[in-house]
Amino acid sequence: MKCIGKSVLIFLCIFSLFSLTIYSPSTAMAAKAIPGSMAEKVPKVNAAFDVNKMGNMSDFDPSNPIIPTGDTIKIAVVWPFSGPGALNGEIAWIGFAWVAHDINKRGGIWVDGKKKLIEMIKADSMSKPDQAKKICERMVLQEKVNILVGTSGSNIQKIINETGATHKVLTVNIGSLADELNDATNFSRYNFMSSDSTEQIGRAMAYFYGQIRKKEKKFYILCQDYSFGHGLAEGFKTGLKEYYPEAQIVGEDYHKLFLTDFAPYLTKIKASGAEVIYTGDWTPDAGNLLKQSRQTGIMTPFANIFMDEPIMLHEVGVEGTKGLMHIDHYNMPNMFKNPGYVKYYSIWHKLWETKWKTAPFNSTLFAHGTGTIGSWTQQIYWMLSVVERAKSTDPEKVIKVWEGDTYKFVNGRIIKMRACDHKAIQDFEIAEYVTPEQQKVYFSIPPYHWFTGASGPGPAWLVPAAKALPWIDQKLERCADKNGWGE
Amino acid sequence: MKNKIINWFLWVGLIVIVAIIPKVFGAYYVSLIVTFAVFAVLSVSLNVLLGFTGLLSFGHAMFFGAGGYGTALALKHIAGLSLLSSVGIGVLSASVLALVLCPLVVRVSGTAFAMLHLAFAQLMYVLALKLRGITGGEDGIGNFPIPPFTIPGVVSFNMKGVPENFYYFAMIVLGLSVWLMWFFTKTPFGQIQVGIRDNAKRIDYLGFKVSHTKAVVYVVSAAFAGVAGSVYAIFHNLVSADGSLGVLVSFQPIINTMIGGVGSFFGPIWGTAIFQILEEIIVRFTDRVELVIGVTLILVIMFAPQGLAGWITTLKQRFFSASSHKLEKIS
Amino acid sequence: MDATTSMYVAQGIHGLAYGMVLFLIASGLNVIFGMMGILNLAHGAFFMLSAYFCYSVLNLTGNFWLALLLAPLFTAFFGIILERFFLRKMHAMGHMGELIMTLGVSLVILAAVKIFWGTENLPVKMPPILEGMVSLGGLEYPVYRLFIIGLAGVVLAIMTLLLYKTRLGKIVRAAVSDREMVNALGINIPVVFMVVFGVGTWMAGVAGVVIAPILTVFPGLADQVGMDAFLVVITGGFGSLLGAVIVSIIFGLLSSYGVQFLSQLAPVVMVGFMALVLAIRPSGLFGVKE
Repeated sequence: MKCIGKSVLIFLCIFSLFSLTIYSPSTAMAAKAIPGSMAEKVPKVNAAFDVNKMGNMSDFDPSNPIIPTGDTIKIAVVWPFSGPGALNGEIAWIGFAWVAHDINKRGGIWVDGKKKLIEMIKADSMSKPDQAKKICERMVLQEKVNILVGTSGSNIQKIINETGATHKVLTVNIGSLADELNDATNFSRYNFMSSDSTEQIGRAMAYFYGQIRKKEKKFYILCQDYSFGHGLAEGFKTGLKEYYPEAQIVGEDYHKLFLTDFAPYLTKIKASGAEVIYTGDWTPDAGNLLKQSRQTGIMTPFANIFMDEPIMLHEVGVEGTKGLMHIDHYNMPNMFKNPGYVKYYSIWHKLWETKWKTAPFNSTLFAHGTGTIGSWTQQIYWMLSVVERAKSTDPEKVIKVWEGDTYKFVNGRIIKMRACDHKAIQDFEIAEYVTPEQQKVYFSIPPYHWFTGASGPGPAWLVPAAKALPWIDQKLERCADKNGWGE
Repeated sequence: MKNKIINWFLWVGLIVIVAIIPKVFGAYYVSLIVTFAVFAVLSVSLNVLLGFTGLLSFGHAMFFGAGGYGTALALKHIAGLSLLSSVGIGVLSASVLALVLCPLVVRVSGTAFAMLHLAFAQLMYVLALKLRGITGGEDGIGNFPIPPFTIPGVVSFNMKGVPENFYYFAMIVLGLSVWLMWFFTKTPFGQIQVGIRDNAKRIDYLGFKVSHTKAVVYVVSAAFAGVAGSVYAIFHNLVSADGSLGVLVSFQPIINTMIGGVGSFFGPIWGTAIFQILEEIIVRFTDRVELVIGVTLILVIMFAPQGLAGWITTLKQRFFSASSHKLEKIS
Repeated sequence: MDATTSMYVAQGIHGLAYGMVLFLIASGLNVIFGMMGILNLAHGAFFMLSAYFCYSVLNLTGNFWLALLLAPLFTAFFGIILERFFLRKMHAMGHMGELIMTLGVSLVILAAVKIFWGTENLPVKMPPILEGMVSLGGLEYPVYRLFIIGLAGVVLAIMTLLLYKTRLGKIVRAAVSDREMVNALGINIPVVFMVVFGVGTWMAGVAGVVIAPILTVFPGLADQVGMDAFLVVITGGFGSLLGAVIVSIIFGLLSSYGVQFLSQLAPVVMVGFMALVLAIRPSGLFGVKE
């Protein structure tokens, strides 16, 4: 009898061990990719970022980047570097300087029968269309750059794209999200929109609330009054119809850019009984909106895309930032469980802690290199990877490689260039902001939180790419009769 | 007589230089020169108003913008519109705006005139931003079709994508504008204006309606600002609130006029050239554009308040004219 | 109060608070123009500069009240330097000279701000005592906005007393109408003007500190509010303190009720009102005809 008992016990032990191995989270994850996600749709990518091939970054200083000259691959960084929008230029610049430093340390890229270094050239758009046109033409005609990359602001990106199309120079859009940039009227073969786009973001957010979270039902839309804000709002409305028909939009407003007083809007929102405020505002509007809402005693969560600027989050504090729902075009759930990414992250974060002592790069804004900074940096890596594989800076050869190309970012995000209209397909992450103690679920490496003074991403969900494919303009001949995957 | 011949030679020389620039310098400088010409016309139009009526406008951008939006809207919505008529529509919309404002502005002068224009330009700016359906809001109107320049049955020049062709078109239109304004100031009518500026009462006694003549100059000035705006819109294939109605667009011609010299007809053209060259140099060497331009403005206004023209005269007096120097000493 | 009423009342107080911020900036501009005839385009830049000073003082001492005291004084100091060494020479050249000088100065201030503080968005925390809400007959309203209204009221009272009850005020008012005469009486006009300019920039400075906790301190702050202040002065009439107060409040109310009822056209309502006033009275609501 005793013997039987023992053997049963042993059997149970073995069984439980066995079952544990089978159902351990890691195997479960590896076993099934989320239906419709990039991991499922693109089992094998054409190229991936390999952290082990990175050059030595220890002497990288964004304030004094080493810029090679001579016979180089010239890339114009078209961003505002002066005027009120200069911060955006600095955010872009650190990414460009970082990538150039890395690639140059590796010895450059083999193009047109020769190994060439990367030369990044600042092209100050001052956020003004006429200045942008001037500077783009100078870059193309005088500096003879190979690629023009932009920018914050769809009106400026439009000018970059047009200049590229006129002079047959490659242009890349990594920062402007307006869908109309690549519609039937504005599409140019020479332009690649490797950024995400507005309708996609809006629909992904709607999918999340309707199909994943299934909690709040009353939404208020408050966006900036220009094509980007309207685009995000339209996308969200389309998405709600599609994925969340029982949801209700209790109000919809568009405020002017750089608004001073949000209080009247907030009072209206409060009276509407909204459970979630959906906003596409970027700083400073995003910060002022959040700040003034908390000051006015309105604690409604914001579903946002750019309300992630850490300085502003710190000012509002842990309590006020709790519950924000942030959609991210770079971060991925479980990215801190990916050793390659942790290595990459640590290089960046350590440099920030120890090396970058001059403003603005010493600010908390640059501490993690995630979010928009991460997205821009990886898009530049992707662009150069395409050039490397095309073995040429000749636009025609680059276009050939990039159309339909797939690439894996350092944090595991897979991105695909839709061939017909040059727009990027990718998954999205939506994360709920929680107090620093609860951030361990996301930030799974020491110190187990993003910041101590503000809430940050905790639980995170993946919206599969298939549910939020970029808008496709059927009027564009190249896209006629193509589905969302461009097939 | 000799002077006249030399003048003729200079003019012919200038036209030849303008004509061969695209061949020699290439597309980039062609764009620079078109921008220069646009702002030179805008500055001269402001200076015509200022120099011949003493009225300083802080909102000349609204006519520039009206021209731009007029042309852009016309090209976008009217199919088969010819290039010249699209410019005409721009000029017309600027003139109509000026006519609407006329009864108002002939009542005021001096500071009130300046500020009234600042206010109305701001009104136009806000309207352009808010009426998204018409003006495209913050994004403006872009990518509208640009018709070729055609003389029916004779010749047709493609404008879109051929910077050279557009350059010639722009230079002819803008050059003609400057010449017309110059001609305008030389007519007896223009001379009456100078009289009004100096002594309005006297002119009134001579039997001229002061307010009427003021209004005519006002509309003429607005119309030419409209020409500049219209050409600028076609040049960029884009018209935007910030780029054509913003407050800096209003201040730019004032700065140009001041740098070049208020007193003379050609001063603003020089001023535009100097400012553009300056900007062109600065952006190549530093990110601190605001600092350099700010300091330059302060220095100019402190040490060369009469502008370039005044400065050169002073220099001449100091170094070349010994006799005047002596006279000064004696006195 | 039921929900709807309290919403309308809240919008009214929002309008008043925003109007008072506008008033603080506009009145400084108005004092400088009304008393000295100078168009100060750098006014918005001074307003921004003060917000930056506020950030620095707050960072060093942690005391908001000290920042409220010091930052406007620093700002006024720079204002006085501008008047004494730069603007005074411009007077002979009329508005064109002033325009270019003050435009130049505002660009230099913008550049200086970027050099010393960088381009990031800097936070300014409000003092704990002004945080939170207070109940006004059932309506929960943020204390800080009431504080803005109160402070602007105090500044208005000081201005009125200074102008109409003191010797300095008399001199200033006399100097505006007849400079030669006052000069002949042995009063040092340049010094009086310097003081007036200082007071004007001080008021911009107060506005800069007051607004810092509800907005972001960044290099675009001057453009964000500066133009509205100019429109207040133009609509209210140059040199009229009463005009500035009334138009500020009207602008504030129009913008908050505009959002409530005509959301898409809110900014247009404001400029529309301005256009209407100027069409009837080109020199402003309370402006003196030239």
